[in-house]
Amino acid sequence: MAISIYIRMRYKFTAALGDCIRIGKLAHIIAPDRIKKEIAELPIHRIVSKDNKFVVIDAMDVIQAICKKFPDCDIQTVGPSQTIIEVVTKKRKSGPVFFILVWVLLFIGAGLTIMNFHEDVSMASVHRKIYHLVTGRENARPLIMQIPYSFGVGIGMILFFNHIFKKRFNEEPSPLEVEMFNYQQDLDQYVILEENRKSEFKRHGD
Amino acid sequence: MVIELAVLAIVGFASGLAVGCGFVAFLTVLGIIPRLAQLTDTRRYIPGYEWSVVCGAIAGTWLGLRHIQLSLPAIVLVPIGLAAGVFVGMLAAALTEVLNVLPILAKRIGVNEQILILLMAIVIGKVCGSLFHWTFFIHDLKE
Repeated sequence: MAISIYIRMRYKFTAALGDCIRIGKLAHIIAPDRIKKEIAELPIHRIVSKDNKFVVIDAMDVIQAICKKFPDCDIQTVGPSQTIIEVVTKKRKSGPVFFILVWVLLFIGAGLTIMNFHEDVSMASVHRKIYHLVTGRENARPLIMQIPYSFGVGIGMILFFNHIFKKRFNEEPSPLEVEMFNYQQDLDQYVILEENRKSEFKRHGD
Repeated sequence: MVIELAVLAIVGFASGLAVGCGFVAFLTVLGIIPRLAQLTDTRRYIPGYEWSVVCGAIAGTWLGLRHIQLSLPAIVLVPIGLAAGVFVGMLAAALTEVLNVLPILAKRIGVNEQILILLMAIVIGKVCGSLFHWTFFIHDLKE
């Protein structure tokens, strides 16, 4: 009877230049102990500088390698059919000066856009109208409601993103975190397809 | 005369219908109500929130179009202003999020951990910009 081997490819991990990628790192394996170790040690790929930023290892490559070593095995794959390896070259340090620059840019931009918005929707005259409506008096600058309003804008944004700096109101992810996750997922999907296309092209080119 | 009134009524009703639909569509796209319900864990009251928005819109329309005076003390304006601000802040945050600005920015400049600090730049910028607008900007404009 053939030995059953189950493999599940990892979704994504990082590796450094020159690393040898072995199956044990690429996938979770279920197999009899004596061959599990051997399978885990099988090399699949060595990362060279030509690989650029991403390497995509297909489950087919893994199966091929295992079949070569253990021809009479029955291999089942579970889960994702490829693994993305992100090649970390020297980590690009984004200096604090750069960061402060972006911070100031966002700060000024956010301030300007809220002012534009107020002018755009005639917020000042609406405030004057509300002041008149509530008190019955005229006031060209109803600061008594405009200052709470201004702080309210900040509170509303924090509420929406579910953060007071590091503290959160509940355990659910904020829309920003979900958005970051979705964006990353889209990028990964693109990388998988693009790398597949490239390696297809290379194979046909050879 | 009757025809004139009828035409005016129809035009008014039709434009009100269009504006109301637009308002609801806008709120739906930005997802502020579900967000508030999620934060306060009151999802089962969402129909109630819908009615709150509808009543608020009608009250705002009516009070805005008629020149009604309530002659209340000015201190009442503090909670009104705060609530209006929170709502506008949520609108602004939702708009930023719909436009996908922050994930792309964070990826581009490679600061995944400090994105919160960048977010704070926007929040504090909004508060300061708003305060500046009301206290100095308009003042200078009048002189």
